[in-house]
Amino acid sequence: MSSLASLEFATHRDTHVATLTLCREEARNAMSLDLLDALHAKVDEVAARADISVLVITGAGKAFCAGMDLKAVLEDNALALRLLMSLADLTVKIRTLPMVTVARVNGAAIGGGCGLTCVCDVAITHADAKLGFPEVDMGVCPAVVAPWLVRKVGAGRARRVLLMGGLMSGAEAHALGMVDHLAADLATLDATVDGVVKHLAAAGPHALKATKKLLNELDGSLDQSIVREGARLSAHVLSTPETQTALRAKMGK
Amino acid sequence: MSERGETSRFASASGFVRLAVEARVASVTLARGEKRNALVPAMLDDVASAVRVAIRGGDAADIGAIVLHGEGPMFCSGFDLDVCHADASNSRRLLAGLSALVQLLRDESDVPVVIAAHGGAIAGGCAMLAGADVVVTDRAAKFGYPVTMLGLSPAVSAPSLRRMIDSGPTRSRMLQPTLVDGVEATKIGIAHECVATPAEVLPRARSIVEMLAAKPAGAARVTKAWLRQVEHRAGLSAAVMIAAGLETSLGVVGTQEERSLLAAFVNRSRSKGSA
Repeated sequence: MSSLASLEFATHRDTHVATLTLCREEARNAMSLDLLDALHAKVDEVAARADISVLVITGAGKAFCAGMDLKAVLEDNALALRLLMSLADLTVKIRTLPMVTVARVNGAAIGGGCGLTCVCDVAITHADAKLGFPEVDMGVCPAVVAPWLVRKVGAGRARRVLLMGGLMSGAEAHALGMVDHLAADLATLDATVDGVVKHLAAAGPHALKATKKLLNELDGSLDQSIVREGARLSAHVLSTPETQTALRAKMGK
Repeated sequence: MSERGETSRFASASGFVRLAVEARVASVTLARGEKRNALVPAMLDDVASAVRVAIRGGDAADIGAIVLHGEGPMFCSGFDLDVCHADASNSRRLLAGLSALVQLLRDESDVPVVIAAHGGAIAGGCAMLAGADVVVTDRAAKFGYPVTMLGLSPAVSAPSLRRMIDSGPTRSRMLQPTLVDGVEATKIGIAHECVATPAEVLPRARSIVEMLAAKPAGAARVTKAWLRQVEHRAGLSAAVMIAAGLETSLGVVGTQEERSLLAAFVNRSRSKGSA
């Protein structure tokens, strides 16, 4: 299970940086129960490291994260609820981390995967990446990620994004405010990420942690009940005949 | 002028609003183009009635999306200042009707709403945009709330504008009696898509509502309802603030300052018109 997520440590000047990688490349890092369990374990591990000032989250291979692995839970609503609840808890766990979190969006960030980018304090991608929340196109309700998108881009823009569904380019996501920094292409993504990490490394780690803690209190990020409620709502919608039919058609089942 | 799909289940009391329903899309039209769709009290009541008929009425119960647009050179120029000048009670009815309409679109209906704001939306017209889930406009369109120049307060719009955009731009738009163009309005979030020309706005809005109507209806409605809860939990839609906004705007209607500034504006406009 641990091979589904990796955690590596490096040092920039005197600052310790951790990198958490989603390692389910064959499924474009789609979040299965096993992958989520592995991510929970790695986030718990990094949370215990007081010396880490920056956590970079990224995906192995071409995709950042293709979203929730719904195929495996489509016929078992209890399992679907477990999957969505695990995502809900993971989002709050990541947000609560004391260090600054940076999403290195190397490729597709879809649905729950795009939600992960919104949970991070800073999101970086490249112009050609594909991001978005196509849940409503498939009859699914993106209830777990909605609070995070509202906090990231505001309620007005979140309505448009979540109700219209579909995907957008990295450049569009940057214009919308869903990602904070944009590299011209994948080849220059790491230089952009390194630049951001370098800046963070130059800041006072205590000041960063205190500021992040305050921001979390200000915007309601610590309210675990709303994302758990969202998980229950998403699981309920997933069980309806309309959604089951739409998803089966999409998955060719 | 009638529209394809126009429904007989809606009758406009003002004569300035039309409703057409076709292919799971309800089109509500402000049809007072010669007055830049300036609002009279019955017009706001008509828009609310048209939306209610569309989302709750008989054969249209499965409406997938609503598009609201205006005839003539712009979406809506705000309240009809001649009727406000003639009788302050019209201003009060307009303010109450505006507040109720935005709440209807945003909080009482789970059907996605798209507004085609070609040419712009001023004051009460701009306030209506906060009821939409998607606003499409054009680059040269004008937006803002310059009503403090008339001794009126745009406070009625503040809670819904703040719900839609950040606190800084909300203050800036509410307190400065200036207008911004479609590009800036899209940048700050009053609008969501900006096309090049006014002529492109309605076709783009129609393509969005058709796309919305083609999606599984249950998920879209549940998602809109859920976003309402998320906004409520974030403190963005407190009923007490909506009531306070309306009270604040009502509080300055009929004051000496409002009566004299409004009269001066209306008289200047009439002089220009007759010159």
